[in-house]
Amino acid sequence: MGGEKIMKNYISGLSTIEKIEKLLLLAVFVVLVVVPHVSGTATITMVSRIMIFAVYAMAYDILRGYIGVIHLGFALFIGGGAYFVGIMISQFGVSLPVLLMAVVGTAIYSAIWALIVGRISGKSGLLATAMITMAFAEIMRSLMTVWRTVTQGEDGLTFRVPSPFDNRMFMFYASLAFMILMAFVLYKFTKSPTGRVWQAVRENEQRAIFLGYDTNRARTIALLVASIVGGLAGVMFGLLNRFVNTDLLGMQMTYNAMLYSLLGGSGTLFGAILGSGVVVLFQNLLLDLRGVHFIFERWLLFFGGLYIVVVMFMPRGIMGFYYDWKEKMAYKKRVKDGEKV
Amino acid sequence: MVFLSNVILRTEGLSIQFGALKAVNNVSLSIEADKFTSILGPNGAGKTTFFNLVSGRYKPTGGRVFFKDQDVTALTPQQRIHAGMGRSFQLTNVFPALSVHENVRLSVQSAAKVRYTKLFRSYKKYTDIYEETNNILERILLKDKADVKAGDLTHGEQRKLELGMVLAQKPEVLLLDEPTAGMSVEEVPVMIDLLKNIKDAGETTIVLIEHKMNMVKALSDVLVVLVNGELLCEGDPETVSNNPDVMTAYLGGGVINVAT
Repeated sequence: MGGEKIMKNYISGLSTIEKIEKLLLLAVFVVLVVVPHVSGTATITMVSRIMIFAVYAMAYDILRGYIGVIHLGFALFIGGGAYFVGIMISQFGVSLPVLLMAVVGTAIYSAIWALIVGRISGKSGLLATAMITMAFAEIMRSLMTVWRTVTQGEDGLTFRVPSPFDNRMFMFYASLAFMILMAFVLYKFTKSPTGRVWQAVRENEQRAIFLGYDTNRARTIALLVASIVGGLAGVMFGLLNRFVNTDLLGMQMTYNAMLYSLLGGSGTLFGAILGSGVVVLFQNLLLDLRGVHFIFERWLLFFGGLYIVVVMFMPRGIMGFYYDWKEKMAYKKRVKDGEKV
Repeated sequence: MVFLSNVILRTEGLSIQFGALKAVNNVSLSIEADKFTSILGPNGAGKTTFFNLVSGRYKPTGGRVFFKDQDVTALTPQQRIHAGMGRSFQLTNVFPALSVHENVRLSVQSAAKVRYTKLFRSYKKYTDIYEETNNILERILLKDKADVKAGDLTHGEQRKLELGMVLAQKPEVLLLDEPTAGMSVEEVPVMIDLLKNIKDAGETTIVLIEHKMNMVKALSDVLVVLVNGELLCEGDPETVSNNPDVMTAYLGGGVINVAT
């Protein structure tokens, strides 16, 4: 009885905050819809890139933040998807059916990697999985370097994309729709019974096994989801960039996913969107400042500082910090109401 | 002799060896359905290891385990749990960052065998699982702590939660590894009462590990004493506690009946 009452207060105590949240979300959405009409190509491309990277980072967060797999070869997917688009189009021509084939190919390619990593992580521990996945990405990168006749090696592959994806405006809205759709789908997954098992595995795998869960199965499903979504982000990135090179399969791309989701808040899913936005915007801001002083050209320097601040003062990332604050507010309200009663 | 059909859990020459140490050595034991069996023994007697073998956490180096006359020696822990063997842990083993409700709900969900591919349905839509979780929480007296993080519970409450998580699986055999371990003096009777209720409900056969005999003597129908990984004796509580072998071997004699 007391519990129900507390629950009610908990909800009513947050209704104002929740209203503000909704308004904020709406505002962001409106801004995003308006952006391409009021800004130049550079900004349009940058925001499209943020949204695609956001999906890539959300997919990474499913692994790192939900099931608890450290995948150090996550660039396999953004690079793989982009390469699929590039290679297919340059080999079979600039057309929509070829693009569709690239999407299907990427999904299959990502699923195969997910199954391989799933098998490995079921047998060996967290650390071994991290090391082996890192090696996988390096293998793919070397392959793409060596396969010069098709990929142009380290020079990278430039290609055209079929209409309407060659239109910046269209690409922007496609990226926006892609991000919203993927955020929705991944959110649904995390709230499904299986998504709850993911968190149980992350928290205490041994216990999850003794509740009767096939944790390897749960992990493989998470890997499939994350890998395929990551691969699709790669396809979108290929379409936006119209150029792929081996850097896309490099360690730096995996670090990016890690950085975005950690900064935004590991295990919060939407934090990855925030992280992607903050990092890319901050990076651009610093680069714009290089005219003021040459030190701003070394933007990573400032980035390290920001990262340290976040880790020290918001170990659960920006979203995690916000959620904790919200919980604290609700608790305070509960205590206050409790005193009144 | 007992009738074979009444035996729910049976081990035959169950052994495991870690290097030179025979942690469990040739233990053949039959546990009857609907009898409260307590496995006793001093620290290091191999009680928990025995449970680990029975529940499938370790693979035995010798012997077999039968559950309802089926050989389950080769089954994984998950398969044994779904067959009806639940177990709790001596060291509290919960999901500390998840709420009490979620801890139990996960266990109920596992017993309900929700398909892993149901990715688009919200877990909140499974109202039967939700209700069952609340029932369990009521049974283990943690209903008012439902929203608390499991890691923030007191030790005694975590032990209750642990019990609830096993109960939620509706096991036919309940392997409880020292449910009162580390509990305060005030908390122990509450746990004993809980166990008594489970026993009286008659839905499951309880096998319990304990190292203090006075704790379970009144509850138990059968006592089993393990010493140095070997089965020392088994029988009804009176016979076992008066057995001179038990008196001497167990904690160097006499201590077994000392009240704590």
